[in-house]
Amino acid sequence: MEFDLAVIGDNWRFLAYGVWITILLSAVSGFASLAAGLFIALLRLYGPRWLRVPIVLYIDSMRAIPVLVVLVWTFFALPIVAGVTMSPFTAALIGLTIHLAAYAAEIVRAGIESVRPGQTRAALALGMSRAQVVRRILLPQAIVRMLPAFGSLLSITIKDTAIASVIAVPELMRQSETVAGQSFQPIEVFSFAMLLYFLMLFPVTRGVDRFYRRVAHLGRS
Amino acid sequence: MTLDWSVVWQHRDALIAGTATTFLLTIATMAIAVPCGILVAVLRLYAWRPVRALATGYVELFRNLPLILVVYWAFYVLPILTGLGLSPLATGLAALSLNVTAYNAETFRAGINSIRRGQVEAAMALGMTRAQALRRVIVPQALRRILPVLASTWVSLFKDTSLVSVIAVTELAYVSMQVRAQTFRVLEMLTAMAVLYWLLGYPQAKLVDWMQRRIRVTE
Repeated sequence: MEFDLAVIGDNWRFLAYGVWITILLSAVSGFASLAAGLFIALLRLYGPRWLRVPIVLYIDSMRAIPVLVVLVWTFFALPIVAGVTMSPFTAALIGLTIHLAAYAAEIVRAGIESVRPGQTRAALALGMSRAQVVRRILLPQAIVRMLPAFGSLLSITIKDTAIASVIAVPELMRQSETVAGQSFQPIEVFSFAMLLYFLMLFPVTRGVDRFYRRVAHLGRS
Repeated sequence: MTLDWSVVWQHRDALIAGTATTFLLTIATMAIAVPCGILVAVLRLYAWRPVRALATGYVELFRNLPLILVVYWAFYVLPILTGLGLSPLATGLAALSLNVTAYNAETFRAGINSIRRGQVEAAMALGMTRAQALRRVIVPQALRRILPVLASTWVSLFKDTSLVSVIAVTELAYVSMQVRAQTFRVLEMLTAMAVLYWLLGYPQAKLVDWMQRRIRVTE
């Protein structure tokens, strides 16, 4: 089996654009799903009771439906329903955020519930309002405890951006497919793509682990 | 915009066949990935150093790659590497198995490691060999911790079978999108696909929840 690396040298700019889109899509959808997940989890825990059923339904539905299905539906079906046209990138962003926010909401809920209820009771007894309890007592500890799970979710986010290649988002997977198709050298191109993804993903989980180990004591009680 | 939902019913045979393939893929992958995962986990824990490093490298590699890339790579590279002409189904199965074995190996390793060392030491002090201690003391307890995670992996795997549609394996996602392409009923077929996955996946997710509640291990 011969390895001809020239195909990569000729197309590195094209592939680098893919890397950039992957990073951009991961960062924006990661951040958005985190914010949305936090909001949804707080709504579920402290919001009106009637909201709880739809929220749990939404979260469990995202556990049942594959990312591919969500992305394809968002790109092809949502424009028909909502009457808006959107670029593949926007559709991928919306689809990924909707899917991942459910997981983020579960992580936030687990983090908040892991703080002992005695602390909430003590804070309320001291006269704090519920909002103050959440903001000053629960969230600071919960956020530290959630870090490993969030690191894992970030890793999943980056991997799921590769699925957006199916709706023609020009991220790394899609760019690699194009180059492989044009050059008829799929082995070199896909192996190089594997290397790039590994180099992106491996530091993420390791980095989060390292960071968590330094701040873990802040979450203990 | 007129919607014609009858296309779903008209093509129900194809959709049912697709669902069957999805289940087949999931079951077959787990049937391969569980024993292989045990093997890799044991290699990673108890083998000598070079083998341990290889096993660790394998696990780390496949946990840090997107599955869809592994599917494409398997489709193009496996025939050349192994010299076999595999059907798309077999290729998809191979890619899924490679991926899930890595996750299972981590699960088994974490499960075995979660049993306190003191139990192994006590067992060996009582005269058991290492293998006996593993078999009689560790594995029964570790199973309680491993099963819920394995069930969770199963649900993820069920969703991930949709990814092999990119190499034209006729599972549910591929069939749904084929019908969409043939009938031009985009909204109906895509919604039907989402609903079908929901109907299949929601009970499985709830079952996993129930299992995690029942087999909860409290120290």
